[in-house]
Amino acid sequence: MQHRNRYVARDIAIFSAPYLIVYFAFLVFPVIYGIYLSFFDWNILSTKKFIGFKNFMEAFGDPKFLASFGHTCQFVLLSTPTIIIIGFLLALIAVRPTKSGKAAETVFFLPYILSTTVVGTLWAWLFQKNFGLFNQILAQFGFKPIGWLTDPRYAMVSIVGATIWWTAGFNMILFSAAIKQIPDEIYDSARIDGAGRLATLTKITIPLLKDTTLLVVILQLIASFKVFGQAYVMTGGGPYATTEVLVQYVYKTGFSYFRLGYASAMSILLFMVILIISGFQFILGKETK
Amino acid sequence: MKSRNLVLVAVFILIAGITLGAQTSQKPVEIGFWSLFTGGDGAFFDAMVKEFNASQNEIVMKTDTVKFDNYYTKLTAALAAKNAPDVVVMHQDRLSNFVPNGVLLPLDDYIKKAGIDISTFEQGPISNCRFDGKLYAIPMDVHPLIMYYNTDLFAKAGIAKAPATLAELVADAQAIQEKTGAIGIAADNTTATYKAYTLTRMFMSMLKEQGYSTLNANNTKANFNNDAGAKAYQALSDMVNKYKVTPKQLDYDSSVADFKLGKAGIHFNGVWVTGSFEQQAGLNFAAVKFPALFGTNASWSGSHTFAVPVQKTFDEKKVMAVMTFINWMTNHGYLWAKAGHVPTRKTAIDTPEFKSLPHRAGYADAVKYTFASPDTPKWPQCYDAISDSLEESVALNRDAKTALSNMEQVINAILAR
Repeated sequence: MQHRNRYVARDIAIFSAPYLIVYFAFLVFPVIYGIYLSFFDWNILSTKKFIGFKNFMEAFGDPKFLASFGHTCQFVLLSTPTIIIIGFLLALIAVRPTKSGKAAETVFFLPYILSTTVVGTLWAWLFQKNFGLFNQILAQFGFKPIGWLTDPRYAMVSIVGATIWWTAGFNMILFSAAIKQIPDEIYDSARIDGAGRLATLTKITIPLLKDTTLLVVILQLIASFKVFGQAYVMTGGGPYATTEVLVQYVYKTGFSYFRLGYASAMSILLFMVILIISGFQFILGKETK
Repeated sequence: MKSRNLVLVAVFILIAGITLGAQTSQKPVEIGFWSLFTGGDGAFFDAMVKEFNASQNEIVMKTDTVKFDNYYTKLTAALAAKNAPDVVVMHQDRLSNFVPNGVLLPLDDYIKKAGIDISTFEQGPISNCRFDGKLYAIPMDVHPLIMYYNTDLFAKAGIAKAPATLAELVADAQAIQEKTGAIGIAADNTTATYKAYTLTRMFMSMLKEQGYSTLNANNTKANFNNDAGAKAYQALSDMVNKYKVTPKQLDYDSSVADFKLGKAGIHFNGVWVTGSFEQQAGLNFAAVKFPALFGTNASWSGSHTFAVPVQKTFDEKKVMAVMTFINWMTNHGYLWAKAGHVPTRKTAIDTPEFKSLPHRAGYADAVKYTFASPDTPKWPQCYDAISDSLEESVALNRDAKTALSNMEQVINAILAR
């Protein structure tokens, strides 16, 4: 028996080793190294100079840090509720036990498998001012072209729009999986009691999805705070840095201006913000249970 | 059983060793090489390297083109790991990010040994690659900001010659808009794929025309919040806001496309678009040096250089092969000129091949008026910040005083850090 246990332990080690090695080498180690770096002044090529909390202090007095964090928050506020609500509505369509429901589920999820660059480039073309599809349609109806990505009033909204198309499908999958787990009997008895569609939705479906909703909100918040790729590809942070989000500034600071320590410190500040918000939500979710 | 395997392995290693050894003694030197040309000039560059490889059988250049966006990131990481290729292309204005860290090889001794005569180069671009008297890179080209104009639209608007003053520039642009319906001046002022760099380059050129550099002499403070800066800013802002000869929210790619399709009369850009404009059927244009809008000529300019990374183990044979390559590339600068760039070597400029290229003659002398970007490792960040700030002020039609003092504050903060 003991002999067998030893084999089981060995098998566990062997089978999980490839994942664990990658996990430690490319996730755990960089995170710890990033924390370490945040206390140094380092340009990759120079020797590291320990400077204590100076990088963190600099961030709070850096207008560019504050502005780009503001843009990230703007994106979070615009994108989180819309992507969740749209994901939920798509799930309601996708759970119908018909062929079209199944097809819809696939279609809605498809964009999610595309890479950031593909999504960004695709939408940059659709939104392009002179020859983009949207302005071509507007022109058909006699409207003037809109600078979707070059007008500061619309640029962030356009990025949110592309992000909805890209990622709402992921939330849909989470919601539809949860909806499918709600027992049919509950719906049957509700129907017998004469509950209409709206009542069923607000009194049964939504309350029973509370746990899933909490998970979706936390995942979506984290994803939205990390916004970078699609914004970078679509607008390059423009017009005049109005869509330059925090991760873009971190990237630029680290890899264009070669201030690795300061870049690390800023990403740790972002990490803290995400941690606090998710922790808060987690506690909130537990209390209302 | 085991010992037999061992013998087999030993024999195999021996054979492999012999064949490998035999191969290296005949094989040409392989030189790893990174370049960043992915735009219109990439095809011309690859063709040159191919021709170099075909021209001799001692050296084989193994090129790897890295997307410009990630080029310096990848290069810096490779330099830190002493893993970089044998020779790299680097912008002159990036040298100050690398030279002080000791990751590039000073080249004077090897240039002498290879018999390359430095006096055959234009001295301006060469001296910009010198740090503390040592040469750390060899310029392959200069690529100044110049002015393109559509000769068909000029004829249609009844304009006989290229504008030479600010007043003429504005008047010509207005005439084009009124008489042809085309855009007067296509020069980008909005970030899309790129920041509004043309706006910045024009601003820097206009400052220099009035005798001012963008930063002060030791690169510790901004040097544009003055009358010269105000005149330059006002001219740029007026083109967009007052005379409306440059559209608002115009990004780089659109400005190039507009000129390429014959929808713009005047276009400001670096020389690197000349080659792709020539390939556009039906586009008749001329290219001239950046006009002396404020009395004297001066134009922002970049320069592609060759630099040699310091390696883990120094191999002089490779460095000398690199010298041969650089010598060939700079001597054949007229091939590179097909992309639009201006060669840095008199031996390339004084060739019938270069002289027979159309358009280049119009701006070949621009090299004399070029100036390099400020020599500080903080320049890339300043450049981005100036671009954002100018873009914002022009878009919001700010007055010169507010625009320049805002921008000065941002730049001084970066430089003071």
